[in-house]
Amino acid sequence: MAACIVWMLSLMGGFYPGESATDWPSTVTLHAQQPEAVDEFVPIDELPPQDQLPAAPLLVTAYAFVVLALFAYVISVARRLGAVQRDLERLQAELKRNGST
Amino acid sequence: MPVWFTPATALCGLMFAISPFLIANAPYESTMGLVQKIFYVHLPSAWMFLIAAIVCGVASIRFLFRGDARHDRLAWAAAELVVLFGIVTLVTGPLWARKAWGVWWQWDVRLTASLIGWMVSVAYLLLRKYGGPGSDKLAAGLALFGMANVPFIYISVNYWRTIHPTTSVVPTLPTSFGLPLWFSAVMFLLLFVLLLRARVRLEEQRAQLDALYLSVDG
Repeated sequence: MAACIVWMLSLMGGFYPGESATDWPSTVTLHAQQPEAVDEFVPIDELPPQDQLPAAPLLVTAYAFVVLALFAYVISVARRLGAVQRDLERLQAELKRNGST
Repeated sequence: MPVWFTPATALCGLMFAISPFLIANAPYESTMGLVQKIFYVHLPSAWMFLIAAIVCGVASIRFLFRGDARHDRLAWAAAELVVLFGIVTLVTGPLWARKAWGVWWQWDVRLTASLIGWMVSVAYLLLRKYGGPGSDKLAAGLALFGMANVPFIYISVNYWRTIHPTTSVVPTLPTSFGLPLWFSAVMFLLLFVLLLRARVRLEEQRAQLDALYLSVDG
């Protein structure tokens, strides 16, 4: 009877004959020994230094892109305006010539 | 060009010269640090992106109902500005996000809807350039979808799960952050008005040129 009880307990929690109940590894201890589950989100100020990105290149790239994009668009509009203006002047001159002849 | 154009251009240039000092003197945000300063161009360009989409949509509606070519010219000009400010927003945002969130992009509602709104405007411009006869009305119809997307982009962060900051952030900013932000916003708005006026002028001159060609052929 006692041997049956010992056998059942050993199946449950790794209790071996000769060990006392206080030697049983507790559930809490077992869980504490396992590595903690890592949350997907880690606050940026808790990242290890080797995982932290330098901010300056990103900031400089952003501002450089803004300036270049706006400048490129202004140049584009100015060139298109200039081309149309030249065509207008040429055509108006031609109309004037045809009107005067 | 109207009388106010040159003084407004000078004012805009002056504001662009002053803004780096305001932005540099703004305090660092406690968690994001230096990279947060992208905010001072990202947010104003995003606002101009949305405003341009609304202008394009309203002008397109007026063109569809009245057939007035002036509204079509305004819509076409605004569509170009949607593409311009949209690409600025969609590039500066990920540059900030890479540092702040650890990823370049997230397929949440705001970012996805913004990308779709930008693509609608690119489609508008392609349609106007390559669409042929009737493309003006078809593009105007397309612009309505772009405008309908705008409130969706704005309120999405309040109703769907996202890592993007909500709309409650800006009204609660302290003055030290708010001053450079609103200065940049006014500067971008002035730039938007100037670019829109210049672009509309281009379309007006093209229309004048077309009329002259027709009179020569006639």
